[in-house]
Amino acid sequence: MKTALLNSHSENLRSPMFWAVSTSALIALVAGLGLLGFLIIESVPVFSRQGLGFLSGTEWFGPDEFGAWPMIYGSLATAFLASLFALPIALGSAVYTAEFLSPKPRLAVKAAMEYLAGVPGIVYGLLGMTLLAQWVRNVFDLIDGNSLLTAGLLLAVMILPTVTTLSEDALRAVPRRYRETAWSLGMNRVATAFCVSLPMALPGICGAVFLGVGRALGETVAVMLVIGGLDRIPVPWFNLFAPGQSIPSKLGREAAEALGGGYHWHALMALGLVLFVLALSLSLAGRWFLTRQRSA
Amino acid sequence: MEKGILVMLRAFTLIACGLLVFVLSAAIVRGLPAIDAVFLTAESKNFGLEGGIFYQTLGTLILISGAAAVGLPIALGSALFQTEYLRRAPRLKKSFRVLMDALNSAPTIVFGLVGYLVFGAAFGVSWLTGAFTLAVMILPTMQSSMVEAFEALPETYREAGKSLGMGRGAIIRSILLPQCFYGAATGLFLGLARAAGETAAILFTATTFSGVTIPESASDPATTLQTHIFTLAQEGLDPRAAENAWGAALVLLTLVFVLLSAAMWIRSRLHWESAA
Repeated sequence: MKTALLNSHSENLRSPMFWAVSTSALIALVAGLGLLGFLIIESVPVFSRQGLGFLSGTEWFGPDEFGAWPMIYGSLATAFLASLFALPIALGSAVYTAEFLSPKPRLAVKAAMEYLAGVPGIVYGLLGMTLLAQWVRNVFDLIDGNSLLTAGLLLAVMILPTVTTLSEDALRAVPRRYRETAWSLGMNRVATAFCVSLPMALPGICGAVFLGVGRALGETVAVMLVIGGLDRIPVPWFNLFAPGQSIPSKLGREAAEALGGGYHWHALMALGLVLFVLALSLSLAGRWFLTRQRSA
Repeated sequence: MEKGILVMLRAFTLIACGLLVFVLSAAIVRGLPAIDAVFLTAESKNFGLEGGIFYQTLGTLILISGAAAVGLPIALGSALFQTEYLRRAPRLKKSFRVLMDALNSAPTIVFGLVGYLVFGAAFGVSWLTGAFTLAVMILPTMQSSMVEAFEALPETYREAGKSLGMGRGAIIRSILLPQCFYGAATGLFLGLARAAGETAAILFTATTFSGVTIPESASDPATTLQTHIFTLAQEGLDPRAAENAWGAALVLLTLVFVLLSAAMWIRSRLHWESAA
């Protein structure tokens, strides 16, 4: 065994393919670690000067002190709204597609979801601005249609295909024999779907939702166009009709003017780090759920 | 009761698919009036209110081709590394996969920030900075799709190569790459589609709004459809801006959907003789 390993290693070391392949793997590794590394290094000045006060501060503008809480709140609020609005429709269509559709229409739904997920964020932004924001303004009788609610609704549309298609995969992964057992006990298809397949696919569905919310957190341009751009926590805090600001929309608005240096830039990088950590934890949690589903 | 639930589920599915129809028809209804031969072939004038989107379209194409040219070899190599050279090290393999997942989950604007810092230091705000930034962004998209293809190749193919005395390098060259060609191409097109739809990562790394034609040197900025739409959208009220923004959006949407369709079509050709 040991010699076999050694042999294959020395064979590897002489092969140009090995070197080409491991060089590109190394580049990928550096890219991944470098992304996190740069964010951390560039935000050191902020956390060493303000500590956790950066996260809890509510005022963004000072030349020496920045507070990120309104943006963090905006990101969490819009992502929460997005999952709330998207979940019933995503889950409903996933159940219908996985449990009731024959192969061909099922593939059509999957393809539609893939296209929908591919629609550029900026096109959603344009739609949100010209249609959704007007609609929200008229329906809820607001002065301005740009609000946390509008951003949440738009994000719901944007994460719908991700949540739908991953939930559908999770439902399909439930072995057929469980359904057959349920049918043989006289359960109808609807009951089987909701009382057998859905509970068994629950980890995968949780994973789908986590990944979807992670995507919602990172969306920039579409949110920028409809969120209103006000760095303030609404009063009262649950007033989602108020304009707000999410972390990416803040970054998109201000990065260009602070490019490269100064405390303002470091504050933006720290904001980027917070965003990355939020999105990363959601996505890792999501993938953990998905693998649990697969091994179940 | 059963019937009612079923009807409701069907309605939800129709809503989900209807969204695609809605997005498409909105783009067509609002964008089509703006599009004619002049719009597609002229440069934009008067801050995008007049003229066309020729250089914007060109800029998008330049950026995504650059990103693919840089990202493809790295994605291919790291996918091969993960599936072929880490076979005996499942722990390392898992860590590498988690790293790629992490990169995939990073918000795109973060790529923009760090891309500006790293590549911008070398090239400034330029098409090359944008292409490198997009390359890193689409790396995990391409890589995971390729890994999937390599892992789906039945083990018997590799064993057949080994029994002929082929080393890993030869197996990769003569068996994996030809057999998984469609898988790699699927990954490439998915990556291109993702890059074409991206705005935030190139907003302040690669583009300026007006006065840009064909970038001539490595440090020249480009102008793209995505950022063009974005700037016009912020103009807001001017109906000419809105019409041109929708025209550009329709062109962009068409480009992305063509790339996605290519990926899906190639993927549908991806199957091997059964391993059994």
